[in-house]
Order: sequence, then structure tokens, then C-alpha cells
Amino acid sequence: MAIVELENLSYQYPLTEENALSNINLKINEGEFIALIGPNGAGKSSLCYTIAGFIPHFFHGELSGKVEVAGVNTHDSNLSEWVLNVGLAFQNPFNQISGSKFTVFEEIAFGLENIGIPRQEMIERVENAMNLTGITDLAKRSPYSLSGGQQQRVALTSILVMQPKVLVLDEPTSQMDPIGTRDVFKVIKTMSNQGMTVIMAEHKIEWVAQFADRVIALYQGEIIAQGTPQDVLTSPKLLEIGAGISRYTSTARIASQHNLWFKDKPLPVTIVEAEAGFLGVIYEN
Amino acid sequence: MRENLTFYLDRDSAIHKINPFTKLTLVFTLIILAFLVPYFWLPSIIFFLVIIPLSFTGKVQTEFINAVGRLLLPVIGFIFVMQALFYPTEGRLLFQIWFIDITVESVKYAFSTSTRILVMVSSFILLLLTTHPSQLMSDLTRRGMPGTLSYVITSTLQIIPQMRIKANTIIDAQRSRGMETSGNIFKRAGAVLPLVGPLVFGSIVDVEERAIAIEARAFTSPLKKTSLREINDPELEKYSRWFLLLIMIITIGIRLWQS
Repeated sequence: MAIVELENLSYQYPLTEENALSNINLKINEGEFIALIGPNGAGKSSLCYTIAGFIPHFFHGELSGKVEVAGVNTHDSNLSEWVLNVGLAFQNPFNQISGSKFTVFEEIAFGLENIGIPRQEMIERVENAMNLTGITDLAKRSPYSLSGGQQQRVALTSILVMQPKVLVLDEPTSQMDPIGTRDVFKVIKTMSNQGMTVIMAEHKIEWVAQFADRVIALYQGEIIAQGTPQDVLTSPKLLEIGAGISRYTSTARIASQHNLWFKDKPLPVTIVEAEAGFLGVIYEN
Repeated sequence: MRENLTFYLDRDSAIHKINPFTKLTLVFTLIILAFLVPYFWLPSIIFFLVIIPLSFTGKVQTEFINAVGRLLLPVIGFIFVMQALFYPTEGRLLFQIWFIDITVESVKYAFSTSTRILVMVSSFILLLLTTHPSQLMSDLTRRGMPGTLSYVITSTLQIIPQMRIKANTIIDAQRSRGMETSGNIFKRAGAVLPLVGPLVFGSIVDVEERAIAIEARAFTSPLKKTSLREINDPELEKYSRWFLLLIMIITIGIRLWQS
């Protein structure tokens, strides 16, 4: 069942001439893990903000078309209701710290306090969420004393703890090291397997290829390709826009020019596919 | 560098365990007594026989006396001198500096003003040393203070040190591009200007993002907020607060009736 429905969606920020999003049609099913890719300025963040309700409730401007999440139209709702269904974490972790809490534990509980969760349940939910994202040892630290990557985990945990139906993430791993990134992708995949719908804008293509159910490529505010990671990430359209190409795909593409990749074999997008393909070539020779 | 501007010291004491609102009520009662009861020695008695012993009970005496000494003595000294010198009064001459007459009355007046201010500020310092700001704000929010106001207060305590760190980063960045930031006063003043733009505009951008972040966590939700912090409020303290309120009302009443 579609939990997010966008129909003929176009949006223009105030005081701008061009559309940030043009004619977007998209249905996202419950429990799906969607990755949004595309170069800077392609409209990934705008699409995230729209699904999360900040367009049009926070950023005004011109929004046309239909935006529905969990059967509710964005125009029939307000932000404080909307955020109960849709959680948003974005890129800059420093500004996602509420600023009014003195420890990480309190910081994560901030959202639960705002929606009136009883104290005992709040403690349990915060502890579970911290366990899930592996930040239990940070509980008593000040959120400001953490590194960028740690702050990003705190920001993600602060949203996960609210248990939204749809989780929107705008480059949530931008300041993380490779291991941190992998851990976060695993957590997000687990949440999606448990039924949470995930929409994630991300530049780290190799991880997207490995974990996402569907990839949507945006360019100049429009959807230019969508489908399985395999279909989208090997599409020649991505070569034209120069973004969203996995290094495994690029390597195999060059290899195929030197007859080091089987012509009939699809290009790989993950390390596992690349390994299998190259081993095949080696064994045949 | 300190991460926040709080005075709070985490100690295990009876004062720490008292409900924040009770402590706040006591602070206001002491201030009203010190300012409105016409007995000359009362502010000094309150300071020495109530506030200082309480700082020992709260196990924060060293820091308390330090803070009072450093923050308050210069201010009180200044007030004392100004009042003594310029409080216009006819009275018994104590001594004369140049053409200014120092009278017994003006010294008395200066003493009474200074001790009143001492009670006011030191009782607040004691409150802040023994009460975590989150605890105080959670309790006040629970009693009906707007959540936005408590957010503004607690976030200010943290954001100011963060802005200082940011300012230092900007200065370092400018310096690495060859800007002079040391030298005589004019050079240093000139170095402040390029700092203002990035700091102010950067902060405005930060405000927008922070607004999104706290909205995403249902900050403006109309639902009744709860608190992670458990705040004790035993019956006895409720009665004590009513008693303190009564004292305040009587003091104010007598003062109004007398005038």
C-alpha cells in the first residue's frame, strides 16, 4: 500500500524564478527503502522537505500538485500533526541539537517530552533507540562535546525514538567515517524491514546500491530515472549528469572496453557483484 | 572551553533535593524581606544567618563564597562608594573628602542598599549552584510557564559558549588568510569587523535550521508536555510555599499600610 503519494508535484521557493521541483509523480510503499540521488541542486533536499511537511508549512513559496502521507493531504494538516507521521533528519548535525538539553540522553528525549509521553515509557524508548544506533556510551555527554559523526547519530536517534511511519533523511551520514556510515545504513535497513518507510538522500552510492530497495535519480528538479539500484545506477543517464555512479560500475565499464568484463553481463553496482563478475573473467582466461 | 554557562554543581545534599519552585519561592521571600522590612540589620542577618548556612548545607560553600566574592564585591563596593559620596543628605558629618561631605546617614544608606543587593544576588547564586537549569525549567513549565520561554532560557545558556567557539573559528580562518588580529588597539578593533558578518549571518542561517530541527521533533505540538526529569514535590513543601507566600503578602501589606 502506498504511504507516500506525490502527484504532479511542482514547487518554487519564494523569490526564485525556477522550479526547485517539477512535475514529480511518485508512490512509495510502506516499508520501502528509497534512495534519492543526484548532483547538488537537483532537488533532493526540496523533495525531502516536501515529504516531511516543511514545504509548504515552513518554507512558503508555490506548491502545486498533491502531497499525501498516510492518507492525509499536506494542505489539510499542520506541521505539528504532520511530524508525528514523518520524521526528518538532515545534514548539518550541529544545528539539529535542540540546544536546550545538557546531556545526550535528555536530547533524545526532547521530542518525546513534546508529545507528552509518560516518563517511564520515555526512558525505555530512549534506551532502546540508543542501543539500536550504538550510542549508549554517549548518554551522559553534552551533545555539544561530540564529534560531527557522533552528533549525526544523536540526530538520527532523536528522530528514530519518535517512531515515525515515514523516515526522511537528508544526507544523514555526511560527516561519518566508513564504519559509522555502514552501521547507520544497517540500522536504517533494519527499521525498513520492520515496516518503517525510509526516504534517504545520499551521495554515498556504494552503500545505496547495497541497501536501498529503489533508487530515484533527480536532476534539475525532475525525476530522470527510477527503479532497482541495478537498473538506475548502471543507466547511461547518470553518466550524462555525472553523478550517482558507483565506483564498481565505473571500474567494470572501463574493464569492458578492454574485454575484461563479459559483454552480456550487467554492470555491477555492489562489491559483491563486481567480485563475482571479475572472478568469472579471471577463471575463464 | 566550557560547554555551557551553568553554575550548577552536582552534589548530594538536602538543598539539591528540594523542589526548584520551593527554592525559587524562598529566594523571592528573602529578597522581599530584605528590601521591604525597615529593620536596618535584617539584610545582613539574612545573609549571614540564612544564606551562608544554607550554602554549607548545600555543600557548595567554597564555590558560593568564591562566586559572591568575585561577582558581587566589586559591584557592591562601587555602589557603596557612590551612595556614600552622592546620597544627598543633611546630617552628622563623618568626614570630608575634598568638597564632598560624608555623613553618617549617607554611609548608613549605602550600607543598607549594598546589603540588600547582596541578599538578592547571593540568594540567586545559591539557587543556581544547587539547581540544574533543566530541573528548574521543567518544573516551571509543568506549572504553566510557556515551553518557548523555558526553551529560550536553557538554549541561551548553551548557545552563547557555542557562538564564542564559532567566533574563534572565524578569527582563525581570517588569520590564516593573513589578517592582522594582534597589535595595537586600532588593529584589533579593525579585526572585529570582518568577524561580525559571518558570525551574524551564520547565526541567522543556524536559527532557521534549528527551527526546522525542533519542529521536526514536535516542539510546537499542542499536546501537554511531559518531562524526563523526575521532580519531587512533597506535601510539606507545598505547605511551606504557601507559608512563604503568606510572609511575602504580609510584608508587602504592612509596607503599603505604613506608607
